[in-house]
Amino acid sequence: MTAFYPPRPAKQRPLAAIEIALNVGPPVLLGAALAALYAWARSGLEEHRRFLMPGWSDLWTGAFASEPVRAELFRAAGVTAQIALTGLAITIPIGMLLGVLMFRWRFAERAAFPYLVALQSIPILAIIPLIQSLLGFGFVPKVLIVALFTFFAIPTTLLLGLKSLDPGIIDLFRLQGASWRTTLLKAGLPASLPALFAGLRISAGLAVIGAIVSELFFVSGDGGLGQMLINTKIDFQYEQMYAALIVSSAMSIGVYLFFSWLGRRLFSSWHDAGEA
Amino acid sequence: MSEQATAPPPAADAAAPALSFADLSLTFADGTHALAGINLAVRPGEFVSILGPSGCGKSTLLRVAAGLVDYSAGALNVDRAHLGFTFQDATLLPWRTVRRNVELLLELRGAPPAERRRIAQEKIALVGLSGFEEHHPKQLSGGMKMRASLARSLTLDPKIFLFDEPFGALDEVTRERLNDELLALYARQGFTALFVTHSIAEAAYLSSRVVVMSARPGRIVAEFAAPFPYPRRDEIRYSADFARLSGEVSAALRAASAT
Repeated sequence: MTAFYPPRPAKQRPLAAIEIALNVGPPVLLGAALAALYAWARSGLEEHRRFLMPGWSDLWTGAFASEPVRAELFRAAGVTAQIALTGLAITIPIGMLLGVLMFRWRFAERAAFPYLVALQSIPILAIIPLIQSLLGFGFVPKVLIVALFTFFAIPTTLLLGLKSLDPGIIDLFRLQGASWRTTLLKAGLPASLPALFAGLRISAGLAVIGAIVSELFFVSGDGGLGQMLINTKIDFQYEQMYAALIVSSAMSIGVYLFFSWLGRRLFSSWHDAGEA
Repeated sequence: MSEQATAPPPAADAAAPALSFADLSLTFADGTHALAGINLAVRPGEFVSILGPSGCGKSTLLRVAAGLVDYSAGALNVDRAHLGFTFQDATLLPWRTVRRNVELLLELRGAPPAERRRIAQEKIALVGLSGFEEHHPKQLSGGMKMRASLARSLTLDPKIFLFDEPFGALDEVTRERLNDELLALYARQGFTALFVTHSIAEAAYLSSRVVVMSARPGRIVAEFAAPFPYPRRDEIRYSADFARLSGEVSAALRAASAT
């Protein structure tokens, strides 16, 4: 039996303002809901425990509006950034080198892969005391901890990217008698950039986390944000502790966004993921 | 490499094949018997198409000719100095613009930048992609990508051109148009072509000779001459001779698939 299905006009494209509102609205709404939840949780605390959850105005006057606290936050963030970036400066080249070696020789892949997985599955927090005993409390052990946090994602994503290279392109290079090195530089590495950058974004975020965690265990010397977190807690300066937390998150997001931006610059013209 | 390109001195007479397989066989390391006694001689300037059931080894035969795969027995004679090869996909480097893609082969061969740029420009114009030099592959249609791929092969001025089902992924209209353009290039450049395809119409339209291979292990089981003079025009597709040739090839192909 036939039935009549009426024509339907195509959906109108929403106005630009509405489209922006649809994009920005949800995160803003959720943010407002979380803020309300925070305020509600805070109001539920007994008066003498309310310092655990400083109010917005306290956070402003007690931390961000205070010149010495701002200077301390800035200095601590610098120290943390230095640890995180030094760690990344070590793991990115070494990780990439390992990724290339694993691609070049299946032997190297077979040898290294189980240890990479093992490295990823060891709870790094659990070996920090060992690192401490071995390397003391200076800069080096902290960088090592960052390296442990950030290493895994780099060789694995690069290897994945290299393996995704179109075999036809490899044949194309072979037909011209191109060396393995030429093929790697002109085809393999460019082709694996999108995958590698997915790994770099993960590692960059982990680098900041690793740096802060490392400091929690090494309360000595000119501390970074991690040390500030501990010290402000001990001193009952919870506004400053929250400020340090906020700055830590901002740094983590910042490095993530930096690598997203860099990736977009490098391959948005040819790769879909670059547009995200 | 088991090529014997230099073994017999090039014969003086023009009839010496540009590419020949003599009793050539290939068994892979896993025991797969891919090619069994291929005998095929392609004369200079000839356009030979190869048809066969899926997995019969026709692509492998091209790869053997190009030196991408070693063969196990028999003999192969080919001059690889001016060898063009187009793949089933356009195999363009997605991060390179059309111009830089077309320049790639000369770049790999160490040609100076100015020269490879000039040649690339010329070949891009030849395949009708002028104006798209700075586009990236993802901005191109399937047909345009294939043109860019052809332009890239043409930069080597191939004397022997191997085609591995280059137009298989294209729609019918685009495919027929590219067939005509390939014939124009063939007339102009005068290369020798070995063309693998699944399309009987394409094989009949392009080639001077159509070769049918059997299911694996691949052997050549039938050969047909295409009695249409070059340059060819679209009208021949609707001629009685074309229909007869297509019918004969089709029958041979069905017989080859059945065995």
